[in-house]
Amino acid sequence: MFASMRSATLLGVQGRPLDVEVHVGVGLPGFTIVGQPDEACREARDRVRAALLSSGLSWPNRRITVNLALGGERKGGAGLDLAIAVGLLVTQEILAPECCSDFAFLAELGLDGSLRSVPGVVPLVGALTDRQVIVAPNCVSEARAVSRRSVYSVATLGELVSCLQGDTAWPQVIPQEHEGSNESADVVDMSDVRGQPAARQALEIAAAGAHHLLFIGPPGAGKSMLARRLPGILPQLEADDALMVTMIHSAANLAIPTGGLIRCPPFRSPHHSASMIAMVGGGTAAMRPGEISLASNGVLFLDELGEFAPSVLDALRQPLEDGLVRLSRAKSSVTLPAKFLLVGATNPCPCGEGAPGVCVCDERMRLRYLRRFSGPLLDRFDLRVAVNRPDVDDLLADEHGETSALVASRVARARHIAMTRSGCLNSMLTADLLDEHAALTRSAMQLVRSQLERGRLTGRGYHRIRRVARTIADLQGDLGSVDEQHVAAALALRIGIQPILLGDQS
Amino acid sequence: MMRVTTEADFAAALAALPLLGPQRLRKLLAHHMPSEAWAVIRGEHHANPSVAELFSRQFLGHKLRERATVDHLDATRDSCTKSDIFTTFIGDDNYPPILAVDLAPPAVLFWCGDLDAVNQRRVGIIGTRAATAAGRYMATQLGHDLTAQGIAVISGLARGIDAWAHRGATKPSLWDEPGSLTNGRPIAVVASGLDVIYPRENSQLWRDVQRHGVVMSESPPGTPPEAYRFPLRNRILAALCEVLVVVESRVTGGSMITVEEAQKRDVTIMAVPGSPRTSCAAGTNLLLQQGCAPVVEVADVLVALGLDHRRCFPDLFDPRHRPTDADERILKLFDDESFGHEAVTLDQLLVRSKVDLVNMALALGRLEADGWVVNNGGWWEAVGPSRA
Repeated sequence: MFASMRSATLLGVQGRPLDVEVHVGVGLPGFTIVGQPDEACREARDRVRAALLSSGLSWPNRRITVNLALGGERKGGAGLDLAIAVGLLVTQEILAPECCSDFAFLAELGLDGSLRSVPGVVPLVGALTDRQVIVAPNCVSEARAVSRRSVYSVATLGELVSCLQGDTAWPQVIPQEHEGSNESADVVDMSDVRGQPAARQALEIAAAGAHHLLFIGPPGAGKSMLARRLPGILPQLEADDALMVTMIHSAANLAIPTGGLIRCPPFRSPHHSASMIAMVGGGTAAMRPGEISLASNGVLFLDELGEFAPSVLDALRQPLEDGLVRLSRAKSSVTLPAKFLLVGATNPCPCGEGAPGVCVCDERMRLRYLRRFSGPLLDRFDLRVAVNRPDVDDLLADEHGETSALVASRVARARHIAMTRSGCLNSMLTADLLDEHAALTRSAMQLVRSQLERGRLTGRGYHRIRRVARTIADLQGDLGSVDEQHVAAALALRIGIQPILLGDQS
Repeated sequence: MMRVTTEADFAAALAALPLLGPQRLRKLLAHHMPSEAWAVIRGEHHANPSVAELFSRQFLGHKLRERATVDHLDATRDSCTKSDIFTTFIGDDNYPPILAVDLAPPAVLFWCGDLDAVNQRRVGIIGTRAATAAGRYMATQLGHDLTAQGIAVISGLARGIDAWAHRGATKPSLWDEPGSLTNGRPIAVVASGLDVIYPRENSQLWRDVQRHGVVMSESPPGTPPEAYRFPLRNRILAALCEVLVVVESRVTGGSMITVEEAQKRDVTIMAVPGSPRTSCAAGTNLLLQQGCAPVVEVADVLVALGLDHRRCFPDLFDPRHRPTDADERILKLFDDESFGHEAVTLDQLLVRSKVDLVNMALALGRLEADGWVVNNGGWWEAVGPSRA
């Protein structure tokens, strides 16, 4: 007797449909899964057996073979339990084959017969467009983010059998339609920042042009505090971006808001002990997305940048350029989105103080500390801002800064200008697009020329300065060519972090 | 080819013997000429009773005898010849008289360049390794002006103030002119062997000092820059100075060791005053409190040397463009008392001036291009002579 059930497995952030074929025949009683299952998949035998028995259904004491069709790749996870169980029920003629043919099954089974959620429900359901999908009750809202109509959910295996047989109606799913309600609660406001006008402006420019940003300053200067306010001034995600972010978070088995879709730009701040795999993804057969993918369309904040392993930091360079990361392994290769806004924070030197006259580190120690960030990585930060502890007067003043909403409206306007002009944000402008959309006036050209001649600016830095200057002009509403003042501001927000050494100055 | 082994070669070989520290070496050479001392160590000559006492420990005498071979003698001589290092010893004709009368003279002295530089008027300039822009400027200016006045600038070729002082003294514009014969010739006293350049980034400066003046060391060629050698070096530096100027120093640190050594030798100590809120200037301000004479310009040092300060004209002409009024206001912010230290961030400037980012950036760009301010690792500092 044979049955074939539809389910799906996860690779990277994409679901792949597959058929679970169940065959029950004569021979010694036993249970085999073939088709390259992983360990969790193999354990399905014990879970499915217990679930069937405790639901009052029978377990065939015969030779059972389960094949995960479309072989060649390794299949992982416990999400195929339900498909195997239903397949077994069909082979035993408890269920008719035709009443299952419109459905796909995505759930792990508990020993008591209950349905449990599996990681990556959003991409998995997204891959099963032609079927109605049955999932565990606690991931219904997630599943509905991709497919509104065709998601059903039941609490137990017994319930599922009676629903499939048509004995009872499908239980109504309680709609929880207050989107993003629990997201905005932990977004912090810009008005908490006292003083620090340059750092604020840098945040605003970073948000408007998606420029990578590095804060350099002593402990307690508010680097992390400033960075955490960045998601609040970024615009809400658009529908397809939101879906992508939700799919990535779901694939990494992270909590999804009750509304189903993630609307707020994500903010990820991994600890500096993060491994390469944790940062870029991979590691399991399912290629779990790493922090850079989780920060896609949002902010990746690396506090204490110097403490990260140099290899981990250098692994960021390619994704920073391409906006995606290609993970290749012997058995599979996937492409994960990684279009994030990088915000780094670091102390200027080992003693942390940095300011000349206060810092006790000599030149060599400072250089050695800063050398931990490779030049190419450092070059990719369009904005490099020194932040100092705010003055006591500013700290105690009642005066609040601008609110996030106000800044966000300016950011949204500047983004709109950039998108209508060139179809991309300013940080993505290529060199020839720069000439077209960010032509420099004569005085601006002179300023840039003097910086280039003095060796302050590299070739890469030259283009980056022009992009930032374009964003500054957009924020000010100057739509024409880029003027001296915009370039000067861009230069002032991109400090050279190396201390002055013997030989720099005559 | 067999070279005649001179007394200086024996002195170099003795200094290069392990276990024979500066103290023992001094005692040994006080009673024996180097060749004789070599024979004493090899057990081929009868030792003076007070010296014999030194080597009475069986182990030490034995070890030394083992090392004092002809090979060792040749190796030391070769490494000296290879790097153009000369040797002199206490009692030798070349030995600088000023060191011969010192409390703790180096028994053997290695040098590169021209040891005659020691016979000029001499001023030491020392200070912290982590200096502010103002300190760097002061050290460079003093080094330059003193050299132009025919005074030798002595320093230790360390990072920070030391290097900047010699940088001023070896400024190419000083040495290109025909009048360079009257320049003071720089003197450097280093802790490592003369063929071990430390710190490496100063190697060009090291060569410049060697070319114009002299670099000397108590350590034989090949000696690494071990930490305990620096205080020993400082005592030689202090012994050579007529006047010692401390530009920037913390309350503890190498500069203060040199100051102590200078005090033991009745050397005039002068200090450059700094902001009371900068830890970089805490040491120099302490010296001033204790009664040191302050240095604000080169004339102060000339007076201390008993020279006619009138022949030193201050640079009346400042080649920098005068800033516009608006820029001048921003430049004034750098003198603002309420800033905790002299270096300020862009944030602080913006808050104090109420100028917006764009205009501030333009102003700073202009001031930097004209040489009024510098950006040092994200902090802005005013440089140059103060705007009277």
